[in-house]
Amino acid sequence: MSSSVISVISRFLEEYRSSTSTRLKVVDAYLLYILLTGALQFLYCLLVGTFPFNSFLSGFISCVGSFILAVCLRIQINPQNKGEFLSISPERAFADFLFAHTVLHLVVINFVG
Amino acid sequence: SVSNQTSTIVLLVFMLALGAQALTPSHHLSPSDVDRLQAILSQPFTDLKSAYFSIVGLSKLGLSVADANGACSFIKANVDSSSVESLFYAAEASQALASCEIHVSNETRDLLHAAVSEDSTVSQIHQAVSALSSFSLPLASQEVVSALKARISKEDNVLAITLALQTASRLSQQAELGEILEEIEDLAARLDDLGGVYLQFEEGLEATALFVSAAYALSDHVDVEPPLKEDQVIQLVNSIFSKKSWDSLSEIFSVASAAAAFSNNRFHKPVIVSALGPATVSHSQPLLQLQVTDVLCQPLSSADVVVESASSVASKAAILSKTPFTLRDGIFELNFMASKPASGYYQFSVAVKGDSRLVANHVELKVKVSTKVAINNMDLSVVDKDQSIGTKTTRVEYPSKAKASFVADSHQNFAMTFQLVDETTGVELTPHQTFVRLHNQKTGQEVVFVAEPDSKNLYKFELDTAERKTEFDSMSGTYALYLMVGDATLENPVLWNVADLVLKFLEEEAPSTIQSKNLYVPKPEIQHEILFSGVLEINPPLPLFSVQWFKLGANISNFSLSPSSLLFHIGHAAMLGLMYVYWTHLDMFQTLKYLAIIGSLTFLAGNRMLAQKAVKRYSTHPVHIYSEVKKLNRCMSFGEK
Repeated sequence: MSSSVISVISRFLEEYRSSTSTRLKVVDAYLLYILLTGALQFLYCLLVGTFPFNSFLSGFISCVGSFILAVCLRIQINPQNKGEFLSISPERAFADFLFAHTVLHLVVINFVG
Repeated sequence: SVSNQTSTIVLLVFMLALGAQALTPSHHLSPSDVDRLQAILSQPFTDLKSAYFSIVGLSKLGLSVADANGACSFIKANVDSSSVESLFYAAEASQALASCEIHVSNETRDLLHAAVSEDSTVSQIHQAVSALSSFSLPLASQEVVSALKARISKEDNVLAITLALQTASRLSQQAELGEILEEIEDLAARLDDLGGVYLQFEEGLEATALFVSAAYALSDHVDVEPPLKEDQVIQLVNSIFSKKSWDSLSEIFSVASAAAAFSNNRFHKPVIVSALGPATVSHSQPLLQLQVTDVLCQPLSSADVVVESASSVASKAAILSKTPFTLRDGIFELNFMASKPASGYYQFSVAVKGDSRLVANHVELKVKVSTKVAINNMDLSVVDKDQSIGTKTTRVEYPSKAKASFVADSHQNFAMTFQLVDETTGVELTPHQTFVRLHNQKTGQEVVFVAEPDSKNLYKFELDTAERKTEFDSMSGTYALYLMVGDATLENPVLWNVADLVLKFLEEEAPSTIQSKNLYVPKPEIQHEILFSGVLEINPPLPLFSVQWFKLGANISNFSLSPSSLLFHIGHAAMLGLMYVYWTHLDMFQTLKYLAIIGSLTFLAGNRMLAQKAVKRYSTHPVHIYSEVKKLNRCMSFGEK
């Protein structure tokens, strides 16, 4: 049972390494970073307590928001999805990503206190 | 004893019986309200209608207009003989004045008679009939009755029926008023019961008040008791007299009419019983004084006011039974202290008798008996812990202070015993508040203890110096000892500096300075720095991320140094820097202002830069236009299917 799981995972990783473009891999690395930061923040909150709660919330939501925006960017710049996003060039996707991030940062900084 | 028990049972049964009908007026006119009514009704007339309200209103209150002759001339000058309404006001007002005759011509009389018909409204019939009656002109009562009956069925509203009742009260007693009399019951059924306290028409205060005066006017006229239960009468009183500032002269007139109706009709007379001042008696003020009046605050001098029963609230022991009050200067008095009651609260059940019309004539009243407290046998002593036999005790007399201070160290206890008694009767008291306060004048410390009575009502206070050191923060020194005694039933609360007490605690336990317990100081602001440094230090994923990117070959080799690219990067960095400054210094509005400027620059530069990148990408990876178009076609036809 466990051996099949391991073989599936290793097969997946092999496929990923070979067929994913570098650009997407960069975004994926960024996604992993955001995920880990969010998880760490959550763990900190569990261990140390929720005071000040607004700071925890703003930090955590910043991670979640960034993750979502990065996922959107990844979807939009993935050449395999080009059919879905005919009017949105990768540059446009990146520009949207930056703009959305500006708004997100503004809100997060306001809330962190 | 057995007799005590039987009397208590009888009392309980009696009180239960009373409790079934225990509604008493919660709202009534006070003497100042009556004065205000009178004052407003005495204001100068503006027109004939206001003159009618004022003159007739005052007469209902048993008062007369200041200038009767002037009023009469006013009426004569302002009456309009061609209007039934005007004639009505003039007739009623002149009738209320002592000697004011208005000449009525034949045309006027015919006009009034013509108004009595099925084609006129109830209001017009009412005005015509009242005018005819006040002018002492003959009246065909039976015609009026049939006209009224016809109109009531057409105008089925509260005000119309009230006016019909009022009209019927001016007719001959030989007329058939039975059907109209029944309307009182029908109308009473339309009253809204609000919380069991108020009973009123949804049309409002004026309609309710006019109904009351009309109902009693007709009931008195035919000598038939109106079908109103006693509770309903009280609820009507509550509704009509709950409003103490009135909107219009007609409203005031209706209130005055209702008050007059309640205070002298043949059937129901609501009684207002209230204590004069607070219901408290003491040795200096032994009389319980009650005001027993009708709704117009006129004392019921012919009434017998009796205490059916009075019992202590605490012990439920009966103290009085069937004791009469004596009337003096319109106030009913009872010397309660003559019964030598102990201090505390007493429940009185008072009955007002002497008139079968009286309503709400059983009242429950809570009376407080106050007393003065005396402190006896105040003994202070310092006892060694290991010796149960005390050292000498010092007696202190109130209000003086013990001459010598008492010294107690950690091996000793300080003890205080005393008795609290009623000054006059000598009965032991246990007031609500008996506190012992120790006050260090130098440091401002204050510690308060409660003194408890034992089973023999002897108060004891013991201070174990070692045990209580935390309360004193182990601060040795001279403490002033105060005894505080207070209670709702005490006339003389006590604050007595009994003695000075020198407490000696073990030196090493004392703090260097006493910090006053500052509970209400604002908490320090959470510093940004603490959090921010945390973010920078505790960022484990960051190295992992950097390594990953490095491995993937993320590089800045493709960095074009075009101006737009530079500007974009600078602008972007500036935006991030602005975020930091916003966090530390700015507010939202300032940030938005700066963001707008930097943002637009960055956007323009970024747009340029990305466009350039796109062009470069298209030039290096040209996309076949034809295949793109085919893809588009495929998509669109797919959609059509």
